[in-house]
Amino acid sequence: MNEAAPFLEISDLCVTRSGTIELDHLSLTLMAGDSVVVIGETGCGKEALLRALGGFPDRNEAISGTIRFAGHEPRHASRRLRPPVRTAYLPNPRSHPFAPQASVLSQLSRVVARKLNAPLASAREELRLALERFAGAPTPALLDCTPAQLDPVSMAWGLLAAAMAQTPEFVLADHAFADLGPIAVKALLHALNEERKRLGFTLLYITGGLQPTARLDARILVMRQGKIVEEGDAPRLMSGHAHAYTRTLYQAMPLLSLERPKRKTARGQPLLQVHGLMLRLPDPAEEHASRETLSFELRRGASLALVGEEGSGRRRLMRALLGLERAPAGRVVFDAVDLNILSEAMVERLRRRVAFITGTDEALDPRMSLWDTVDEPLRAHLDLSRDLVSGYREGALKRVGLASHNGRRIAGTLSAFDKRRLQVARAIVGAPLLTVVDEPLLGLDAFAQTIMREVLKDFRVTQGSAFLVITSDFTVAQALADDAMVFKAGKIVERGPIVDILREPKQPATRELIEAVTLGAPDLSQATASV
Amino acid sequence: MPAQTISPSLARTLLRATGWCGLGLIAIAVALSDFLARAPAGAVGMGAMLEAPSADHPFGTDLLGRDLLSETLHGLSVTTIHALIAALVAIILGGLAGAVAARLPRPLGQSARGIIGVFAAVPALLIAIIIIGLSSRGLAPLAAGLAAAPLAFVRAFDRVDTQSSHAYYARASGIAAATLLRRDLIYEFRDTLASVAARALAAVTIILSTVSFLGFGATPPARDLGLMIAAAKTTYLSAWWTASFPAVALIALIFFARMAAGLEEGERP
Repeated sequence: MNEAAPFLEISDLCVTRSGTIELDHLSLTLMAGDSVVVIGETGCGKEALLRALGGFPDRNEAISGTIRFAGHEPRHASRRLRPPVRTAYLPNPRSHPFAPQASVLSQLSRVVARKLNAPLASAREELRLALERFAGAPTPALLDCTPAQLDPVSMAWGLLAAAMAQTPEFVLADHAFADLGPIAVKALLHALNEERKRLGFTLLYITGGLQPTARLDARILVMRQGKIVEEGDAPRLMSGHAHAYTRTLYQAMPLLSLERPKRKTARGQPLLQVHGLMLRLPDPAEEHASRETLSFELRRGASLALVGEEGSGRRRLMRALLGLERAPAGRVVFDAVDLNILSEAMVERLRRRVAFITGTDEALDPRMSLWDTVDEPLRAHLDLSRDLVSGYREGALKRVGLASHNGRRIAGTLSAFDKRRLQVARAIVGAPLLTVVDEPLLGLDAFAQTIMREVLKDFRVTQGSAFLVITSDFTVAQALADDAMVFKAGKIVERGPIVDILREPKQPATRELIEAVTLGAPDLSQATASV
Repeated sequence: MPAQTISPSLARTLLRATGWCGLGLIAIAVALSDFLARAPAGAVGMGAMLEAPSADHPFGTDLLGRDLLSETLHGLSVTTIHALIAALVAIILGGLAGAVAARLPRPLGQSARGIIGVFAAVPALLIAIIIIGLSSRGLAPLAAGLAAAPLAFVRAFDRVDTQSSHAYYARASGIAAATLLRRDLIYEFRDTLASVAARALAAVTIILSTVSFLGFGATPPARDLGLMIAAAKTTYLSAWWTASFPAVALIALIFFARMAAGLEEGERP
């Protein structure tokens, strides 16, 4: 291979789908060993670029232009041909890349075997060696289960190891680590970066979030409406000396603040009081060993973030607080009523004052229309006239920016961003005393995350609802809450006002969580000193 | 230039539309059967026995000289009306009951499913014959509906996903079980009622015409298509038209109903 020749040349690539331009005369050159991160909002054309390069464009996409790999003849981009170089594809573990019935390990091994044209046993050995190179990756034995039994982070490690075991020349990463916890994302991106240096492959990483741009030592391409509007390295693009679109994009990057927020002086009555609550641990044997109990209160209009990685026990606490799961010991008093002494029917009545906004799109019934989704809490709990229901619904939809949508549209056909806003509209009409906000930014691009954050802040300020925020991201916790509890392995390791935790994290687990989201922000230790 | 292909969803829509159009035509023929038929049901034409199709008798005549066009129209009418009654019974006692039972407390619902699952495993035709044997031939439509109900119950029961995320979040924000049941019934029936009804119509038509063919169904002088085909057993080798036209009408009814259901065994989510 000629070292001086470009590894990949894309000339005048156009992709249109149903009359919509996805890629607009795009030309791009990558040298061998280049690392490129493509960012942009949903629909900017980055996915179409990846599909065209991988040789798997959608059937209804019309494609023109040429793609040329080093040492090969240019070929028409519309031809569904695999790249002539050894190419590894790195998908997102949440995009269901595995068959549901077979073991993840065997599926990954088969991919490696096919790509290396090697026996299955050799491929499995290559995969094992790749997994061993990564600190924090699961063992092959742990991957030997069905996808449903495996957490997304372990799956991401498996996918990364399988890609690296192929000793690729070219890696296509498709939102590879999006929507995983920040600690995991940091470790995975670090591993990918190290492997790229070791193996010298060319990397094309498309993403809607901004974390990879700061973590990968890469050239960044900013795409908008099918065109590359700007390219450069992360420090320059983040510095503000950039295209207006890029600046807007980077403004969406959440930063931790060490400034003490103005607290509301007048707090209401206690809404949630927890006395000696013992959490049910995942391992029943451990439950007897740990007799730690928990006592705290959340007043009306106050906010509390439960911060921790996936599986750290935050949701278990939430379920215990709402009476969805009985705790082994302790009392939970919601709105001055002890949940332990109530029947299930009475607890259900109390929960009418609770709203959920979650990062999972399955929280909404996909069969219901937009209007029905918002109306349901009103119709189920109150006897209101049709006009009143319609008025409340219109008001709520306006506040989240969905008023212009066709109200009869089915929720299942909405985008992730619209579904998330619809959840907020449903919460608004319910006038909840407590809103549980569970990873609300999951699966959204940078722009959508910014808008969602603002919508939630507005909801919190205007409705006066108490917020219980469940997240693994301290920037989300800080945007939506004042106080936090940090979880690690089913236990609370630290608690207090968020700004105090950020200034002086006492536990390694807390420090790790903070460092995982410290991207373009000033070094926290220096910032603390200046404050 | 890529070849133009019909997307699977468009093909399915076309198939269903064709099925419903066919059923619509059959419904018109049934509604106007008294006007379209040249003779009243069972009217015997003296001296015109086993006549081949002609201008006077487009479908020919049978052994008793009855005009087969008129008889087929009357038979189609009886079969369709009986099948509609049976389908209604199957949908209400099977589908609706199954959807409600799935919402009952788990031990109760599972017990009901277990018991009715046993009946679902028994061939529906056998159940229909047993019910008719225990009651009377006049209750054949009810028997066919009851025979198809266990399978409809099990299918409807299994379709309800009480563990879905949206149901969990709804319960967690105080939405009552009754509201969730109403939600399920409204949306499930809105999305699947047409195909469920068409499939049930096809299934009970097969049961009804078979029991009639075997002599357990319609009672003369009311003749349905199954009974007409059975009556032509002695003549169809020498006079093909006596069995062919009723059979074509019966097959058309079943085929259009299956097409309207999308030729699928289960509902498409």
